[in-house]
Amino acid sequence: MSRVQVDRDRCVGSGVCESLAPEVFELDDDGVLQVHREEPGPDDLDAVRDAVQSCPARALALAE
Amino acid sequence: MSVNTPAGPVDSPELDIEAIDLSDRDFWAEPPAVRHAVFDKLRAERPFAWFAEPTMEGMEAGPGYWAVTRLADLDAISSEPAIFCSGQGAVSIQDIPADLSEFYGSMISMDDPRHARIRRIVAKTFTPRMLEQVVDSVVGIVDDVLAEARAKAEAGDGTLDVVADIAAPIPLRIICDMMGVPEEDRLLVLNASNTILSGGDPELTDEADPLTALLEAGMAMAELMGRLAAERIENPTDDLTTALVNSEVEGEKLTHQEIASFFILLLVAGNETTRTAIAQGLLALSENPEQRARWMADPSMDKTAVEEIVRWVSPVTWMRRTATQDGELNGHSFKEGDKFLLFYAAANRDAEVFENPHQLDLSRNPNPHVGFGGHGPHFCLGAHLARRELAVTFRRLFEICPDLEITGEPARLRSSFVNGLKRLPARLTGQR
Repeated sequence: MSRVQVDRDRCVGSGVCESLAPEVFELDDDGVLQVHREEPGPDDLDAVRDAVQSCPARALALAE
Repeated sequence: MSVNTPAGPVDSPELDIEAIDLSDRDFWAEPPAVRHAVFDKLRAERPFAWFAEPTMEGMEAGPGYWAVTRLADLDAISSEPAIFCSGQGAVSIQDIPADLSEFYGSMISMDDPRHARIRRIVAKTFTPRMLEQVVDSVVGIVDDVLAEARAKAEAGDGTLDVVADIAAPIPLRIICDMMGVPEEDRLLVLNASNTILSGGDPELTDEADPLTALLEAGMAMAELMGRLAAERIENPTDDLTTALVNSEVEGEKLTHQEIASFFILLLVAGNETTRTAIAQGLLALSENPEQRARWMADPSMDKTAVEEIVRWVSPVTWMRRTATQDGELNGHSFKEGDKFLLFYAAANRDAEVFENPHQLDLSRNPNPHVGFGGHGPHFCLGAHLARRELAVTFRRLFEICPDLEITGEPARLRSSFVNGLKRLPARLTGQR
């Protein structure tokens, strides 16, 4: 099972992940990233990989 | 205009690397071809090149800086903010007093965790999801500006200035709307932004010495913010200024000065960079008419074309980092306190990363440019907004002003820091 990891020290709340995988990532009202599915299902995986790769702060990882 | 010469570097095998001086103000008045020939030379032969600091009146010159021109090195430095910090100044080569540096740089010149806490106050407003809500207003503003530019040109002799009539008003109106700056104060914002980023270009500082002009512009903006903040405390709205006055960091409200500097950052950064991308982008399209025709005919190119414009223009030429410890990077040793200037404009033409880097290719994909900064905490907050503004502006320009023709040489800002244009003469031919 793949697991999403967020490096809280690196995240700057750019919202790129949220735009690519809205089912998995959401920035809350304080700009803090919430991960709705820490273990994304097969349907989400491509989008999550895209989000991990696109994070401008390199704050995301997917442990597979 | 016969501008079919590529904006790539001039072929100059005789270029003497020892004669290169990035601290020489006159170098930054040279045309792009000269600038890029120098960057190419440095990147190939001296990717960490040491330069003495430019002199500035009333300030003691510091030890000097490393100029970083390879994308891989630049990105490695950006990604290690604990080793290469911003808190000693990111927007000035000289070490200026910390309060002044923070005033003009705000969170650009801060490190985490404080940087992240301050950034989060506004981060959400600039996410792609939230920006979906302002798309309509961006289209409305762009259409208004283009209609006004068209009417003005047609009422006169058909000529216009791309900078004053198109590139400046679009981002100015958008960021002022987001911040809640009223109509009558927008000229002040425009003039103060110009002065703050003038790099001492004498035309923009009105005879005053650059430092005095900078301080006066900062004070004018702080005064405007003070007025707006007082109104927002009384009557909160959903604009960014309200968010700033109401926000708390570590349980404390931001101070007046912190709010003022944040306010200045958002207005200046929101204005200047997108203006440069629009104006320089239009210039690049006029130099590459076949690319312009392809993009005009194919809206599905908007996404890649916008990225390529940002790579090509690199509106911000550099940012600074300072080493917090001794170390080594890609074979280069450095000492604690060493300054690094990250030359985005150079990295964005790195042949190790980009095929035919000096060729504008609006369908370039992938395009891992660093026009919004390298990977790391300081990646451009306004990147999504800028992309949106640029996509809408060029698409609407193709529709409303397809007959726009650049008619002369641009007046370039003499600045090492931003790649701005002061004027770009154009006309509407009437052939639509």
